[in-house]
Amino acid sequence: MNQYDVIVVGAGNGGLVAAALTAQAGYRTLLLEKHNIPGGCATSFVRGRFEFEPSLHELCSEGSREDQDSATKLFQSLGVNVPLLYEDTLFRVIVKGEDGYDVTLKAGMEPFLDSMEEAVPGCRESVKAFFDLIDPIDDAMNTMGDGVPNPVNLLRKHSDFIRIAGHSTEEVMRALNIPQKAQDLINTYWGYLGVPTDDLNALHYLSMTTAYIKGRPSMPYHRSHELSLALVKALQDNGGTVYYNREVTRFLYDGQDAVCGVIAGGEAFWAKKVISNVIPNNVFNRSDNRHISKRSRKLANARKLGMTFVTIYLGLDCSMEELGVNDYSVFIARDRNPRKQFDTRDKFGLYIVNCLNKALPDATPKGTCTLFFTIPIMPGDLPADLSPETYKAYKNDMAEKFIRDYEETMGISVMPHIEEISVATPVTFARYLSTPRGAIYGYANERWDNIIARSVTEAMDYDTPNLYFCGGHYIRGDGYPSGYMTGEMAAKAVIRDLKEGK
Amino acid sequence: MANKNKQLESLSMGGFVKSVAERLRAVGKGSDGPVPDLLSYPENRLAQQLHPHVQYLIVEDIIDHSPDMKSYILAPDLKRGGDQLAWFSAGQYLVLQIALDGKTISRPYSIASSPRDTKDGHYQITVKRVEGGIASGYILDHWTIGTPVTASAPLGDFTYERLRDAKTVIGIAGGSGITPFRAFARAIAQGDEDFKLILLYGSRTKKDAVFSDEIAALAESCDKIQIVNVLSASKAKDCEQGFITAKLIEKYAPKDEDYSVFLCGPQAMYRFVDKELATLSLRQKFVRHELFGEYFHPEQNDDYPQDGKAVYTLTVHIAGQTHTVSCAADTSMLRAMEAAGLNPPSDCRSGRCGWCHSQLLSGDVYVPESVDGRRMADKIYGYIHPCCTFPLSDCELDVPPMPKV
Repeated sequence: MNQYDVIVVGAGNGGLVAAALTAQAGYRTLLLEKHNIPGGCATSFVRGRFEFEPSLHELCSEGSREDQDSATKLFQSLGVNVPLLYEDTLFRVIVKGEDGYDVTLKAGMEPFLDSMEEAVPGCRESVKAFFDLIDPIDDAMNTMGDGVPNPVNLLRKHSDFIRIAGHSTEEVMRALNIPQKAQDLINTYWGYLGVPTDDLNALHYLSMTTAYIKGRPSMPYHRSHELSLALVKALQDNGGTVYYNREVTRFLYDGQDAVCGVIAGGEAFWAKKVISNVIPNNVFNRSDNRHISKRSRKLANARKLGMTFVTIYLGLDCSMEELGVNDYSVFIARDRNPRKQFDTRDKFGLYIVNCLNKALPDATPKGTCTLFFTIPIMPGDLPADLSPETYKAYKNDMAEKFIRDYEETMGISVMPHIEEISVATPVTFARYLSTPRGAIYGYANERWDNIIARSVTEAMDYDTPNLYFCGGHYIRGDGYPSGYMTGEMAAKAVIRDLKEGK
Repeated sequence: MANKNKQLESLSMGGFVKSVAERLRAVGKGSDGPVPDLLSYPENRLAQQLHPHVQYLIVEDIIDHSPDMKSYILAPDLKRGGDQLAWFSAGQYLVLQIALDGKTISRPYSIASSPRDTKDGHYQITVKRVEGGIASGYILDHWTIGTPVTASAPLGDFTYERLRDAKTVIGIAGGSGITPFRAFARAIAQGDEDFKLILLYGSRTKKDAVFSDEIAALAESCDKIQIVNVLSASKAKDCEQGFITAKLIEKYAPKDEDYSVFLCGPQAMYRFVDKELATLSLRQKFVRHELFGEYFHPEQNDDYPQDGKAVYTLTVHIAGQTHTVSCAADTSMLRAMEAAGLNPPSDCRSGRCGWCHSQLLSGDVYVPESVDGRRMADKIYGYIHPCCTFPLSDCELDVPPMPKV
């Protein structure tokens, strides 16, 4: 009875898409989730009269090649139709201090370039040239398709692609002579990508940021919980099954070191293929290590865990207008330079404040609004001596520090209006996501572990037979669309291999 | 064919060519030992300490307050692997698994002891007999010293939040609703909470006011605590007489500064005091209720569409099995499933926490608006909280099982 074609472990963004697609392809699919609701980070929580969005800042389009982005197309192919509201601005950047600035960047490529030119006169052409590089990237990606690229072909026809893919964002920007201030302005966006732009691969940055600029940021009307429930419906409509409160505690292997099933909730489930939305570290910890290749272990041990956050969720008993907020997304920094922002992250280096009511005017009851603070930090940044007794005070002190700084920066008063407050830290994410150190962004996209290198060595890196991966820790890096797209990649690989009898 | 960008030519192609070698070199430096265990990381360890999946406890002592009210001192059950007790915020509750007649039911109980008391190795809960209550009666009649008790991690958000609440809290307690306030008072006295607590404690007679003298004793040595007994059925020295009215609240509230009101008590008290509070025009942020408790008599609501006398059949899928359960229209689906011995998950039983979140596959239901704590998308996609959901037809639902630990 517990025999399936495909078992998907974890109902995060990647797992939901993977399971819905294999079910749609006609394979008997079981999705196992340790929580009692789907979504992982894509969820919501209710406090009093507020329903908070815990993680999503905006859905960026993916794949700017065509008008319609690939995540939207993927949703449509699954019959998932979730109403989205779009924002006209990308973000506002406030850099404090003497040589600081306060600039709001507009969404859509032309308005974006106009707002860049206004902020840094003379930068338009070079910034445009930078984002135009998405064309040679798309071109190269197109010819590569699913197969292994022919290196000679690549070198001859796609030299721009190769130059971009081999350098950091800042190296490419310097080559194009983008004025420093313009670079800094755009590069403040690193906070959402997890790696400062002197290290972040230019191709990664370009594909994410171009999609964000061109596609306009959007938000699901009923929080990201709606996206997750819609994907569960797609799974069920295609005959698939989801079991909640069933944490996979063991991965099972056959005589050839191939995964053949899992144990969840004390019960064994068998499958021809297993897709893990769970980070490889946890899979290996729940496997007999004899079945895990030496290379897999070396890779997992060599990797640096990705970014995590302290987040503050506020429900306020005044409207956005009464509060004096008029931006959806504000990046606040002490220094222009992304590396310095990263290095001083314990001293307000960079943080982001979102007001959902700007994007969704009736996101909260009339006369109220919400603020969502995102403070990028790295695993290990929490004080080492944090204990159960001191933890709550730490959270409150962090929240107070950042709310006060935001009040001072914006010249507004937030504190007296707090009706609901919730603060999450890597400890919270360790609890809900069960990732090592509460890492949210999987593995850091540092230079050697950037998405290009990951793509090239994918087959070598993930060598356990019958085991496939998807999610923020996988090759595309973090972000909702990346999660969805890796779910699609895993499903496609599984469907192909099942068809070929592999 | 892509346009060539001349300016890019200053960038070498070697970076890309070498990136695989660089990656292989970096991987080569990694250890080939097992990856570190999750609990080797401080963040994961702290999460585990604060939110254990389960706490194995044992009744270490029992305090008789009256024939119908007892306190249970709960300590770690070493035999079942219980070790340290999870720290918490005063005001939180534990959900206890109670095995009776071969079934397991769960009930939330406020922790009456303070967080600091966990360092002495115990939680205290206080149980009052509820007329017709299955759990309270069973506990009072059957639990003895040595009874093993399985509990959740501390839960709930009836807590003092310094960035949200006023510096002074008017606590309004009725009956066993005093228990979280005992925790608040002890936490203040022990220095783990920092606010002024003015407790208005409603009882029938002074004799019924359990913990009143104990809290008064704390107040004597701590000027941040004040307790006022409000007696409805008798008179006594230094006590207010009558009910907790707006006038009484104003009498004790600070005059020229904001104050928060925290309420914990029976539903009848909420209904009465909420009306009184409405006349004080307090901002919503300053009024906080502990869990409403189970919802009865949905048929008395104006928007209830039937007569409430029908009995419906629930087809319940849980843990890979399908059960048929009879459910009277005025009985919550959760209670019906518990009565049938299905052991569905539940924590707050008040519509708020979402632990009983289940998928309604077919049928019509009634959810009282005041206790509908669901997420917006749940309503669109057909998910319910069975603790506050009443059938209006035969229904089919998919219920996640209690997780196996």
